[in-house]
Amino acid sequence: MPTTGQLALLILSIALFATGGILSLARTWWDKAPLRLLGRQCLYWGLIAAVAVLIWHSAQRARWLPLDDNFDALIWLGILLTLFVVYVQKTRPIVGIDFFLMPVVILLLIAAAVFGRHKPNQYVRNTWDWVHRASSYGGAVAFAIAGAVGAMYLITNARLRRKSNKPGTMFGSLERLEHLTRISVTLGFALLTVGLVTGMVIFLQRDPDSHLGAHWFLNPTVLLAFCVWVIYALVLHAPINPTFRGRKAAMLSILGFVLMIATLVAVQYMPAGGGH
Amino acid sequence: MHRLVLLGLNHSTAPLAVREKLAFNPAQQREALQAFLEKFPGCEAVLLSTCNRVELYAVTAVQHSPSSDEVLIFLSGLRGVDPEQFRAHFYTKSDRIAVGHLFNVASSLDSMVLGESQILGQVREAYDIAREMTTAGALLNPLFQRAIAVGKQVMTETSIGGGRLSIASVAVDYAKRIFDHFDDKTVLNIGAGEMATLVVRNFADLKLGKLLLCNRDPAKAIKLAEEFGGEAAAFDRMDEHLIAADIVVTSTGASEPIITRARFEKLLRPRRYKPIFIIDIALPRDVEASIEKLENVYLYNLDHLQQVVSTTQSQRIEAVDAARKIVGHHVHDFISWHRQRQLGPLIDGLYRRYHGLAQEELNRTLNKLPNIGEAEKAHLEELTRRIVNKLLHDPIRMLKHSDPQHGPPAQYMHAMEKLFGLEEGDS
Repeated sequence: MPTTGQLALLILSIALFATGGILSLARTWWDKAPLRLLGRQCLYWGLIAAVAVLIWHSAQRARWLPLDDNFDALIWLGILLTLFVVYVQKTRPIVGIDFFLMPVVILLLIAAAVFGRHKPNQYVRNTWDWVHRASSYGGAVAFAIAGAVGAMYLITNARLRRKSNKPGTMFGSLERLEHLTRISVTLGFALLTVGLVTGMVIFLQRDPDSHLGAHWFLNPTVLLAFCVWVIYALVLHAPINPTFRGRKAAMLSILGFVLMIATLVAVQYMPAGGGH
Repeated sequence: MHRLVLLGLNHSTAPLAVREKLAFNPAQQREALQAFLEKFPGCEAVLLSTCNRVELYAVTAVQHSPSSDEVLIFLSGLRGVDPEQFRAHFYTKSDRIAVGHLFNVASSLDSMVLGESQILGQVREAYDIAREMTTAGALLNPLFQRAIAVGKQVMTETSIGGGRLSIASVAVDYAKRIFDHFDDKTVLNIGAGEMATLVVRNFADLKLGKLLLCNRDPAKAIKLAEEFGGEAAAFDRMDEHLIAADIVVTSTGASEPIITRARFEKLLRPRRYKPIFIIDIALPRDVEASIEKLENVYLYNLDHLQQVVSTTQSQRIEAVDAARKIVGHHVHDFISWHRQRQLGPLIDGLYRRYHGLAQEELNRTLNKLPNIGEAEKAHLEELTRRIVNKLLHDPIRMLKHSDPQHGPPAQYMHAMEKLFGLEEGDS
């Protein structure tokens, strides 16, 4: 269970990310160096605060393995997404990627504060559990990126079709956004597949009747995860069937991400110790 | 005391035929500055020469040469032309007006194409050459540094330099919103229209993977291919080229569309639905408009591109007021700063001279009063100091707040020197 101090630090991190996001959005209308600098500072300090919460939480439990409980896992997700944003903006910046990803980070941290306090869900029992969780959450991060980039693709595509000549925010070229979506989906799909297989192994190791029931495959988490897997499989087979490229792939990526969120939310309502 | 003089001509006062006769390349600029320094020692100069203007900014001692006439003769002499032939094309500005003009030039407010950013680089280059030749000194150094800063500020804080002003650059901008890199892309040019050639030239600068030049007349295709370093492509194998192409620029003289929806739909699968950017510059149009409804097809015609250019022009005109405000603020700021800097030694000289006179008179009086105590002596010293300060207060205040509309500050300063008998050594 996180302490009040850890929650306060987490709230500070959320506030910093939110401020950074607002500053970043404000740059759409008023792009000034001080705003850019302040926004970046908020992002970095928010990240530092989130990492500090993780370290504090791990030290308190004297367990340093990541993804050990719900609080820990959701913060890890947020940090990984933030690191991706920082990496992109440091290497080849894409204006607006933070508009789409930082709200997801904020939601994840809020979820950590809410679910982490009420449902600590300590469920890592063995290596299979850990691999299952790491791959599932890693996949979720990749799909969050694919979803955000997919949304940017759709907006850019719509602007090009409308022949929009307003300066507005440039999200990068369609080709780059499509490339990023494909990389994210490929990575996410591989991780999700590992997550599904290890989930199956974990299930087989236990008594199905006492855990998820005889019709375990009708369980919302399993069903949703499978749907996500199928959707991303469709996106990934674009090289074989090119009609799935571009706008369709972007829309599927967004749909997949929404289902992924639904899966993660469903996990929170699974019996303690039974879900991810 | 010095004053700033500008002598120049630009695109609005002189036709190209005149400008080209007086233009200086960087090497000639160096020679001109060297010659200027030899002819007018102790003066400062920066020579700005672009395809649209030739301007010499000179700092000269008041009442001394060079006058604007002498500068005109000097410049004409360097280019070997008769000054009388060009006199009517020249304008002369001085002090505050010249400062404002330079700031306008650096901010592209005086350019032929409003908001073009090239001029800022040219002002910087002219200043760099003057620094190298040590002809920029106490006034031109801060003046040009400020001009460059003002130009930058106007470009970043207003939309005067935003957008594109040519169809070709707008087309390339749109292509960059679709494609990330061009080294693996194929550009297909169909026809040989003048505008299309300009667009292709802009694309060719992007280091393309392949450039195909397609024309009904193979000789024309070969000629264009040689010009742009591309490949001539057979017109009757258009479908093959359309399958390979990522960007198509078309401008044939055909009376009917040569790329119809029915024709292109069949090519989508062989193209593997990869995005295509089609720029139709032909009149009548070469590409059926409904083709843009197809997935991953981005069709732009002349109107779409022209609309962007028009929007840019309107935006730039709207930004002029904001730009002029920035320039006006900096002109005022620079003039005030410069005046303070010039007045400092003069005011100092005035105080030193009159306090010296007062001290002499005080000493003379004190010598006649041998029994005076230290306290009384201090009172008398304070009295004389205060009298001098009060006497000088009004003229100095007037000098500091002299209205430039009634004459340049240099004139006030000159008058002060004469009226108060300040020699060069005093100030």
